[in-house]
Amino acid sequence: MGFLDNLFGRKQPTSSSVAKERLLTVLVHDRVHLSPHDMDEMKREIIAVIERYVEVTNPEAIEVTLTRGEATDHLKADIPLGRSRQQ
Amino acid sequence: MAQVITITSGKGGVGKTTTTANLATSLAMQGQRVVAIDADIGLRNLDVVMGLENRIVYDLVDVVEGRCRTRQALIKDKRFPDNLFLLPAAQTRDKDAVTPDDMIALCNELRREFDFILIDSPAGIEGGFKNAIAPADHILIVTTPEMSAVRDADRIVGLVEAYEKSNPKLIINRIKARMVARGDMMDTPDVVEILAIDLVGIVPDDESIVISTNRGEVAVLDRDSMAGKAYNNIANRLLGHDIPFLVLDEKQGLWAQLVNMFRTRR
Ligand SMILES: Nc1ncnc2c1ncn2[C@@H]1O[C@H](COP(=O)(O)OP(=O)(O)OP(=O)(O)O)[C@@H](O)[C@H]1O
Ligand SMILES: [Mg+2]
Repeated sequence: MGFLDNLFGRKQPTSSSVAKERLLTVLVHDRVHLSPHDMDEMKREIIAVIERYVEVTNPEAIEVTLTRGEATDHLKADIPLGRSRQQ
Repeated sequence: MAQVITITSGKGGVGKTTTTANLATSLAMQGQRVVAIDADIGLRNLDVVMGLENRIVYDLVDVVEGRCRTRQALIKDKRFPDNLFLLPAAQTRDKDAVTPDDMIALCNELRREFDFILIDSPAGIEGGFKNAIAPADHILIVTTPEMSAVRDADRIVGLVEAYEKSNPKLIINRIKARMVARGDMMDTPDVVEILAIDLVGIVPDDESIVISTNRGEVAVLDRDSMAGKAYNNIANRLLGHDIPFLVLDEKQGLWAQLVNMFRTRR
């Protein structure tokens, strides 16, 4: 409830909005039949392929996510690359 | 020629049987010729919810296996003796006694005599569910606004497509307006957005459902029941009428009421 939140300066998300977010994620996984385990596996393989071509400075920072779009679901990979100049 | 409407959900206990009994009765109240089929073999319940449990002689499996004529197995609802019937599920028999083809043949036989055939599906995605949706012209998916129910409903949406049934419609049951108001229950737009199918009704969580069921009556017969009103509205939508959705704020929390007061004052 916005009113109470403002009164006490609280900005915690409501449990229903947490539920909605979690559901959206779990449903995308359900729909494409990709378990979190397979997703990790795939992420590792994607990183391995990319590393063959470019230097990936921080593999930990790579984000591979499944998200819901209007009509289709999306697999998104965000791969930060190092910016070191050619030596 | 009847329309065959299957009421299903995925998750158990979300209100399929309650919905079937109320919609069947509401349609009958409006003069439609209705038969409700309990497809939950082994877990028969539509009979008690409709208050007809003492009158069962034959059941769905008897009909399918030819031990009686279809007519003989139909139980007349005394409140609407000319136009509301129940075909009960078998209580003890093997679940696999009925096949999807049996259900299609049965419904084709009944279509000539009725305007609506409502099928109460069992929970789950196994054989009983497949039997229930095989003859369906329309599918109603019931969910509550809870994560596990919505997730299972989503699975059903996918399966319905896989079985080449089009446009399932959504009923959100057991909405608690107070919880929605304080942000602790997903609201209708959230659930509709997640499942991305057309909404045909919203039903409040309502004690009158339990009370009616205790008495072997159904909420649509109780003029004071909010849930009954919600089910009557859904029945009217099935009949093609354009009825606005209920505003479920009757029992809102104190804060929500105050906030609303301030809002309307301004
Ligand atoms: N709108 C409601 N308000 C309050 N109680 C409800 C409501 N809808 C259903 N219930 C209660 O929830 C319980 C489960 O309902 P019901 O038997 O209709 O679910 P179901 O989906 O048919 O279950 P199953 O999967 O076991 O067949 C019952 O006790 C019923 O009275
Ligand atoms: Mg049931």
